[in-house]
Amino acid sequence: MITWDSFLYFALPAMVLWAASVLVLYGRKKKSAAVSGSNGDGSVKVLTDKQFSVLSAWLTLAGVAVFGVFIALMWISMERPPMRTMGETRLWYTFFLSAIGLVMYLKWKHHWILSFSLVVASVFIIINIAKPEIQSKDLMPALQSIWFVPHVISYILSYAFLSAATIAAIILLYQKDLADRSLVRLLDNVVYIGFGLLMVGLLLGAVWAKEAWGHYWSWDPKETWAFITAAGYLIFIHLRLRETKIHRLTLWIVIFSFVLLMITWKGVNYLPAAQGSIHVYSNE
Amino acid sequence: MDDTKKRAWWQAPWGYKESFAFVGGLSLVGILLQLTTGNFNFMILEFPVGLIALLLVLVLTGLMVIRHRSSFFGWFSGVPMSVTIIAGVLFFTLIMGLVPQHGEGHSHAHSPLGFDTVTRSWPFVLLYAVLVLNLSMVTARRLLAFRWRDYAFYLNHLGLLILLIAAGIGAADLRRYVMHVTEGQTEWRVFSDQGDMLELPLAIHLKDFYMEEYIPKLAIIDKQSGEAIPAGKPQMWQIDTVKTTGSIVDWKLEVVDYIHEAVRNSDSTYRHVPMPGSCPAVLVKVSNPAVGFERTAWVCGGNFAQLYMTIELNDHLNLVMTRPEPKLYRSDVIVYTQSEKTIPALIEVNKPLQVENWYVYQYSYDSDLGKASTTSSFELVYDPWLPWVYIGLWMFIAGSVLLIWEGNKKAKLKKDDHLG
Repeated sequence: MITWDSFLYFALPAMVLWAASVLVLYGRKKKSAAVSGSNGDGSVKVLTDKQFSVLSAWLTLAGVAVFGVFIALMWISMERPPMRTMGETRLWYTFFLSAIGLVMYLKWKHHWILSFSLVVASVFIIINIAKPEIQSKDLMPALQSIWFVPHVISYILSYAFLSAATIAAIILLYQKDLADRSLVRLLDNVVYIGFGLLMVGLLLGAVWAKEAWGHYWSWDPKETWAFITAAGYLIFIHLRLRETKIHRLTLWIVIFSFVLLMITWKGVNYLPAAQGSIHVYSNE
Repeated sequence: MDDTKKRAWWQAPWGYKESFAFVGGLSLVGILLQLTTGNFNFMILEFPVGLIALLLVLVLTGLMVIRHRSSFFGWFSGVPMSVTIIAGVLFFTLIMGLVPQHGEGHSHAHSPLGFDTVTRSWPFVLLYAVLVLNLSMVTARRLLAFRWRDYAFYLNHLGLLILLIAAGIGAADLRRYVMHVTEGQTEWRVFSDQGDMLELPLAIHLKDFYMEEYIPKLAIIDKQSGEAIPAGKPQMWQIDTVKTTGSIVDWKLEVVDYIHEAVRNSDSTYRHVPMPGSCPAVLVKVSNPAVGFERTAWVCGGNFAQLYMTIELNDHLNLVMTRPEPKLYRSDVIVYTQSEKTIPALIEVNKPLQVENWYVYQYSYDSDLGKASTTSSFELVYDPWLPWVYIGLWMFIAGSVLLIWEGNKKAKLKKDDHLG
């Protein structure tokens, strides 16, 4: 029988593996620079760039596996999927964030996406350790759904990509002639991925809403703002189709859309229009 | 956007300036209609008018397909037009997001411009319609030059198009009612928003209403104000039969015994009786070494059938139990349809029952009676367009997953070129 009491024995090794993975990821740049500086023929016994990436990926995978084993054992011992309390929901956040972060890293080679995913995954672990009372904080019936976890995970990951896009846009705005082509390409790519994640989150939310609330779209304030945010990024994506050189206004649209995203995420609760929103309870 | 400067207004090829003029003009027409006729009445789109509207979109799109080389259609189904329409829709939804909205038939809706009922206001409806038209033409134009590698484009645009049409026209045919049924009874009547009694084509017989509650929490309240302490940031302690000790501020708590379905046995004891009138009770040892207080006694939240029980800690404070929160509620029903089908089902939150084009949802129960409730309320939703909504939704989801997986192909191609 495994219970929350054994959580530390799985959570700590997973976090150590992930910390090692991030260290390898960022440590390698320094080392490989030093090596190529001192010895050009590559005979020094230090891993190559590629091998560092592979090592980092394996370390992450090992952490994901350790954590996955804990979830599996909990599932078996409780004889039901661990998805009924806040603490149990956080287990899935951690698992999927680290696993999808790894896949995204292997696919797109951005270091920040792996480290972001692992840091946020660890934050959910730390919350579970530091505030054990939420391990048994119950979810209300409407939240007990298989759509809950994918809905939230999509949004967390989309925030990461769209934050990266915003940073890229700000850097480009500081450049006089907006000439950094590779940064523009990164921006274009990252907005597509972030927007895809945003839409998956929103549409799965609609599927869920049909099951839980009776209608897939009710123009609830949170839904309205999610719609507005999507429209903002859609304008950017479509403007870029006909632009050869990126315009300043187009870059400002990325920043404007990110502001909309932040309002959707947190700001909605403070707006007069949101009084009585059915989404508010999820932020308790 | 400055490229258009060299061109005079309305001189071909049309671009952003003309698109802005069109969308702005359309919004103005919408505002004038709003001021003169009030909200758009969705009911006029009720079957079969909705189908005619859909046919109109298809005919106009067909016209575009025939004359797809005309500069007018080139402009109307072009990127500048799409961007401008999206910006127009964004503008009105932004108003919706900032101004508190009123539901259908709400007497307090008073903005003459329709700002507090945006989804039913003329400018929004008109922009929604041209968005559908533009999207339909964009998709058709791309289908004219069909390429397999555009699969993500088709999934996203066609999915969204189907979704917007089914949701837009579907809004007119959508019906939502709440039906209250008592255990052992069969009900088929509901009340409309106007208070008229309606008879529905399906009837619900409630065999049993079943409910489970979560283990409640303990709190310490101020006898005067009834507020939990510490004031402003109340601490609740979750009763736990595994981890039995805890504390609220400097009061130590220890669970000695817990009965989830308890009935008062005598003045000071409880026993396990699984019946509707039972409620959770806990035997708790509460102590505060600083003031030399220690007591072991039963605490119970009480319900309609039983008195509550608290522990007095001092002149100001009482240890009390919170009301248990619902964990699960479920109705055991038999649904009868006009086509003489008899469908036994268990309906609970997140697990609705689908019967033909109707969805039956667990809606509510008599919350004063809690798990002893003998009535259950259902929300019945009729949406004949729903299958199309799901087709559109899942196409769009597939398209979004492709966006995540493939990113911006154009950006990637350039990178490869550079590397090559």
